[in-house]
Parts: sequence; structure tokens; C-alpha cells
Amino acid sequence: MHIPDGFLSTGTWVPAWLLSAGGLGYSLKKTAQAMKDRMIPLMGVMSAFIFAAQMVNFPVMGGTSGHLLGGVLAAVLLGPFAGAIVLSCVLIVQCLIFQDGGLTALGANIFNMAIIGAMGGYLFYKVLILLMPSRKGIIVAAAVASWFSVFAAATICALELAISGTSPIAVVVPAMAGVHAIIGLGEAVITGLVVGFVLKVRPDLIYGQAFSHGAGASSSPCGGMLGGAPEEGKS
Amino acid sequence: MKHSYIDEYSGIDSFIHRLDPRIKIITFVGFVFSIVFTKPTSCLTFLLYGLILGILIALSKIPVRYILKRSLVVVPFALVVAAFIPFMKQPVGGYSLGPFGQAVSRDGLMVFWNVAVKSYLSVLCMILLTASTCFSDLLKGFAMLKCPQLIIMVLSFMYRYIFVIEDEFMKMKQAKASRSVEDSKWLDVKALANMVGVLFVRAYERAESVYLAMSSRGFDGTVRTIHHFQITAADMLFFSAMLALLIGAHLFGV
Repeated sequence: MHIPDGFLSTGTWVPAWLLSAGGLGYSLKKTAQAMKDRMIPLMGVMSAFIFAAQMVNFPVMGGTSGHLLGGVLAAVLLGPFAGAIVLSCVLIVQCLIFQDGGLTALGANIFNMAIIGAMGGYLFYKVLILLMPSRKGIIVAAAVASWFSVFAAATICALELAISGTSPIAVVVPAMAGVHAIIGLGEAVITGLVVGFVLKVRPDLIYGQAFSHGAGASSSPCGGMLGGAPEEGKS
Repeated sequence: MKHSYIDEYSGIDSFIHRLDPRIKIITFVGFVFSIVFTKPTSCLTFLLYGLILGILIALSKIPVRYILKRSLVVVPFALVVAAFIPFMKQPVGGYSLGPFGQAVSRDGLMVFWNVAVKSYLSVLCMILLTASTCFSDLLKGFAMLKCPQLIIMVLSFMYRYIFVIEDEFMKMKQAKASRSVEDSKWLDVKALANMVGVLFVRAYERAESVYLAMSSRGFDGTVRTIHHFQITAADMLFFSAMLALLIGAHLFGV
């Protein structure tokens, strides 16, 4: 879904750059207010975490595989603004180091995956947990919202290509949306399970969910991790 | 664990590598813009771009094999566009090709050519920029060109911890692979998700201890770095030559 340079017309990538620069600037301001000087190390290490988490591949269909996008995962764990920053940083590094996504298209990529994917996905998640205010509800909401975020990001990506005149709208939108509706299922399962796991071992780390464990849990290193993770493979 | 893909060739000593990172950033970003704004019909201009890039690649001493391999990253996207071309309905000038005689419109082919040549040349530009500059210098260059300080600092932290976090993840994967027998798919997915969860908790705790270590050493939210960048005559010469070439290409391009 990383659009390279040359695929978008000037009338598309310039507004996309402005929109995502504005969104990112606002997120930075909000996060800096909330976290103060903790922000830089925390956002940096969390960006590296999402980058590593994107290495998780899952088979889609017919031998192809999708990888985790992590937009909703980041937003559920860190909040919508910090989630958008983390995703943007991952996209910037992918653009600069791996040429995954072009420089002029970076604005559009940030818009699709950080602004729509993380922030939009978080909004959807927030509405869902208002409807189902329980532990299970959070897991289900994270899963559904992450499916939605992949689907929405792909649809908007297709729309941008269509507006640029690169692909015919009647074909590219249903094709991208359809393929990503399936890829989104993998994203939903993984995101739901990861959120469930964190909810079990360190619920205090989930954004806006300061319940159960209490204040003591967060200060003990490796606190709840021994409880729920036989597979973690620490030797 | 092996991560050889970042800064693999940034240690070579060549004319391109020695250029000031700021000059390199401005030049190559300008080059990408120049490519994107070129009319799709100006084949000669694209040829000139290709020629310039070829010369720069030769000057940089970066293995051509590496650059070609890296540049394949645009292929999947170009293929997607190519797949949709037969669906572009245009009344005039159709060609008929392919085993089933699909009609391909002239406009459709033009769109494909436009996208393919521009994305490929741009990707070569970006590869040349990032493969010839080590990442920390690149970030410092961007920072000195007045890119938002906050995001640059987050990026430099990210760069520092990418290897650490990825190592941890690979170790977990290896440990799992060495212990588990072929399970059902579902258990596999569940184990993977739990690993990501553990990775998150550990990364978060690592971030907290990094922050504590930093604030105990007087960190107040800003990072101060020494810069030793200096723009020399060679930098200015390179910059003006490139500027003249690109402007010339736009003025006289056909």
C-alpha cells in the first residue's frame, strides 16, 4: 500500500502532504503536552516496536502473504495521537531507508496509514468500546477497528490513485478494497490477540484503561509477564 | 542476528559520499521533484535523467547490483497499474495485444509509461541519496534544513532501537521455532500474537528505563549534537552543476 513517486498527480499529493503535515503537527503538540520530556524516548522506542511488529507475516490466499500494519494496535496501546506519530515515523523510515513509498507520495502514505489507519481506526474502536464496555469488548473492538482501518486505508489509497488518473476508479477501488478486506482479517485476528494479551498481563499499559492491577504493577519490571507467556522463549 | 540492510554502503569513500549531507538532500529531493513534474511525453528529458543518474551511480562506487536489486521495490505497484490499463476506456487510438487480444488504449499505455519511468527514476534518486549517506548524518542534515526537530529526534531514537527491538523479536521467534513442533495454524497465530505482546511490554519498559537513565543525566527534552558539516567548493560545484542540468532539462526538454 506504499505508493511510490510518480503515481499521484500534483493535485493529489500536495493536498495530501498538507493534510498529513497538519495532522502530524497537531499530534506532536498533543503528545508533547501529555508526555513532556518522556515523549522522545518513548515514541522512538515504540516506533521501533511497530517497525519490528510489521515483520509479522500471515498467509492471505493462494501463497501471498500480508504483513501487520499496526495502525490500530499502536493507537489502542498508545492513544490516537501517539499512534499516528509512531506510524508516521515508521513510514518515514521505510521511505528513506527501504524506498518503500516515494518522497512526494509520503504525505499520502502518512494520510492513509497514520491519519486514517491509526486515528480513524481509533475513533471506530472508541465508538465500539462505548457500545461494549467490557474486557471482551475491548478485544473485539480492537479487532473490528483494525479490520476497518486496513479496509479504509486501502480504499482511500485506491481513490487517490483514481483521482490522479493512474487507475480507472470503477476497477481499482473494488479491487484494492476487496483484497484488503481479506488481508484485514489477518490484521484483525493478530491485533485482537495482542490487545487481549496485553490486557491480561499489563492492562495499565493500554491507553485510557487504567483499571485492575493498580499503581503497583507498573513499577515492577517484567511484572505480569511471567503469568501469561509460556511461549515467550526467554532462556 | 543479521541486519545488513541499513548503512551497508554508506562507508565507501567516493565523491558522492564525501558531499555535504545538506547539499545531497537538497539536490536529490530537487531531482525527485524535477522528475515528478516532467511531462510524460518528454522522452529525451527522461533519457537525460537516466544518464545523469547513471554517472552519479558510477561516481558513488556503490555496487550496481545492489542498486538494481533495491530498485525492484517499485515493481509490484507498477504491475498493479499495468493490470488495470485494459480497463481504461478511451475512444481513440487503441492497440490490440496480448494472447487474448485485449484492447489497450493509447492513453492507458501513456499512463503506464508515465508512472513506470517516474517511479523508477525517483527510486534510483532516493537509493543513491540514502545509500551514500549514513542514516544519522541524513537525519542531522534534515534537522539542519529546518525539518521539525521533534520528529527528527524521535527518528534518531527509533534508528538506535530498531536493531535492539528486532533482535529481541528474532530471538523470540528462534526460541519458539527451536521448541515447538508443528502446531495447528491457530496455535501458531496465537503464539505469534503473544510474542508481539511480550515485545510491546518489553519495549515499553525499555523506553521507560531509557528515559529514566536520560533524565538522571540531565535530559530536559532537547538533544544537542555537535555538527561538523562544512560546505566546500566541491559541494557548491556539484550543486550548481546539478541545478544547471535540471533547469536545462526542463527548459529544453522535448
